[in-house]
Amino acid sequence: MRKKLISMLLATTMAGALMVGCGSNASTDAPATDASATDTATEAPAADSSAEAVTLKWSIWDQETTTYWQALADGYMAQNPNVTIEMVDLGSQDYMTVLATELSGSGSDFDVVTIKDVPGYATLVQKNAIQSLDSYISADGVDLAAYNGATDQVTVDGSLYELPFRNDFWVLFYNKDVFDKAGVAYPTNDMTWEEYDKLARSVTDTTFGSQVYGGHYHTWRSTIGLIGCLDGEHNILSGNYDFMKPYYEMVLAEEKDGVVRSYADLKTEGLHYSAAFSAGDTAMLNMGSWFISTLINNIASGEYDASLCGNWGIVKYPHADGVEAGSTLGTFTGLAVTSSTDVPDAAWDFVKWCSGEEGAAVMASTGNFPAIMTDDVVTTITSLEGFPTDDASKEALKTSNIYLEVPYDANVSEINTVLDTYHGMIMQGECTIDEGIASMNEEIGAILAQ
Amino acid sequence: MEKITAANVESFQNELTSLIEKIHTESNPKQKMKYLKRIDKIQRSISAYRSKSKLSRETKRDLIAYSFIAPNFIGFCVFTLIPIVFAFALAFLSWDGSNPIEWAGLKNFKSLFKDKFFIAALKNTIIYCVGTVPLTMIVSLGLAILLNHKVLGRGLFRTLAFFPYVASLVAITSVWKMLFHPSKGPINNLLFNVFNVQQENLPQWFTGSLVLLSMIMFSVWKYMGYYMVIYLAGLQGVNGELYEAAALDGAGTWAKFKYVTWPQLSSTTFFVIVMLTINCFKVYDIAIMLAAGGNGELTLNSTVLVYYIYQKAFIEWKLGYSSAVAMVLFVLVLGVTLIQFWGQKKYQEG
Repeated sequence: MRKKLISMLLATTMAGALMVGCGSNASTDAPATDASATDTATEAPAADSSAEAVTLKWSIWDQETTTYWQALADGYMAQNPNVTIEMVDLGSQDYMTVLATELSGSGSDFDVVTIKDVPGYATLVQKNAIQSLDSYISADGVDLAAYNGATDQVTVDGSLYELPFRNDFWVLFYNKDVFDKAGVAYPTNDMTWEEYDKLARSVTDTTFGSQVYGGHYHTWRSTIGLIGCLDGEHNILSGNYDFMKPYYEMVLAEEKDGVVRSYADLKTEGLHYSAAFSAGDTAMLNMGSWFISTLINNIASGEYDASLCGNWGIVKYPHADGVEAGSTLGTFTGLAVTSSTDVPDAAWDFVKWCSGEEGAAVMASTGNFPAIMTDDVVTTITSLEGFPTDDASKEALKTSNIYLEVPYDANVSEINTVLDTYHGMIMQGECTIDEGIASMNEEIGAILAQ
Repeated sequence: MEKITAANVESFQNELTSLIEKIHTESNPKQKMKYLKRIDKIQRSISAYRSKSKLSRETKRDLIAYSFIAPNFIGFCVFTLIPIVFAFALAFLSWDGSNPIEWAGLKNFKSLFKDKFFIAALKNTIIYCVGTVPLTMIVSLGLAILLNHKVLGRGLFRTLAFFPYVASLVAITSVWKMLFHPSKGPINNLLFNVFNVQQENLPQWFTGSLVLLSMIMFSVWKYMGYYMVIYLAGLQGVNGELYEAAALDGAGTWAKFKYVTWPQLSSTTFFVIVMLTINCFKVYDIAIMLAAGGNGELTLNSTVLVYYIYQKAFIEWKLGYSSAVAMVLFVLVLGVTLIQFWGQKKYQEG
């Protein structure tokens, strides 16, 4: 009898522990939401929040290889000793997917989140996971004009949910040694895509064993599919993608003639663009300005062989016929305040600091492009140790028009999926260019018509 | 059942005695059963009353048993059962994981069959299964029969066949991608140099219509070792006397296989086929690793159902629609498994 009683007791405590385990979770959640409710209701003055210790949980990616996260956090904490910034690395591969999942439940306690791309931003806005910054922006008098119109392209129904702190635009990287060896003149800051194509072909060497590739397109859709957007008239939300055709034709012809590595090869071997460029057999590479700091750092550390790729330069992105030189594609990284944070004011203050001029100075000092481009920023970056010394490279950082790779739209992640699928099919020869573009038009037309 | 109190305990006692008398004279077995049940009930109630406990001993016994099951069952409920039921419900709803759930009715299912991506995924998954299941079964059975003989280095060959199953999927897909690399891989180099296949006709193993073939070959190679071990176990269970008897009747190797091995292995084969089918329909990792490349995207030629479920749910956050796709997968697997059960039953009866 006693044995039975003991066993029963044991079993019930075990069962009980399980219930308690579940219960305690719910009870810790409750005060958090309460607190956020009272905070937003009373709009605690900033002076109060700066007095007491605050911890901000911030989602980021690739902490080890990206220099500016720590620099930004340190810079802010130095000025605000009461704030501790705790960074959580979610990895870059599927960062936005992981983040959206984290923010779906009520259990996440992120205060500030980094927004990597616009489709992910659209998802978070639709899920009400991040809050509108309008009231903060007007209260603190943040001048959005400093962002060169970037914020206009992510405004949702008149409200802004993120502020950019990093801004990248596409340029053309080239390896001077390759051009010298071939006896061909360097690319210039004012080239059309036809001129670029001709130039790429002129430095190409298809001799087996000593191949030189005139160009290189990474497997992203943006390296080819977005070239057509540079005229400022077309964009990927238009529902008609005929404008991509000439560029697919150009690239596929280049593949066929051995001017660039084939997409199928790149996909199979997973060759990274940095490996392609640093191997010294690639003459030109169209890539975002983030690659500048990667090149500088990795050549300095010896990870890339300086004898192969140390003599590099940049020029402005080639442009469409009849369009001003310096028109390029851009993409920015933003910061947002979560809806569930219990310290929205402190979180906003951090976002504002990173996106503002102080954050910009920190970004520039690490070789990255801040969202606010001033002459100081350009000087800081061009005077970095390892930045090309020729004038063309310095001039290349001056852009005239930046078109966002992906502007905001409610259906943007669905549109992206369709475009990516057919991009892959066109590039792998699974369908012709015309078939692929016709399918894009048809399927995205259906999405937009919903 | 009436409650027993001090006042009416006497009347129950009387009923009990009369029932016991009745049961001795009753001839109808059904009526007898009824009496027995009633007697059992009254006896339980009376003993519960006597022991002054609110719960009868039987209820207590049940409770103890349940309390032992509870820790596991509660976990199962919270993490498996409720999500499954919820997934079924979600297929008829429209939800993005945060905003209020909306009723969608059959809308999700209706749009499924107009969805080019879904149809491609369904088609590819079915082709993959139809290719993989019989092939894996035949190869693993063949290997098992070969390695069941006492050949030299039997242990080594068994290990070699089993190795792909143990090795990490990511590592071995990388090796496959190197081997089958469209321009630098040794396989295509062999085709080019030895068999004089023209450069532009070299097979693109990971794109177009060949990608499913690559996936099937890979899957057969990776999983044959595991099913070989199951078949080996099955072969150990075959009675050696049957072969002797067959040999006495003049059966050759093929006849021995056909009349002894194959029927004796029928339940093993059944298990292998069911497991293979279920695993094949769930294919995701192989497709992603072999066909998706760095961006993790599958084209219409290589997309599979589980990938599409993931994409709709966690990239586009259409949880309802994605559950509808999951339902189709569920019905498919259930259907195939039921047919197999039915076939197995028929085979054993016949």
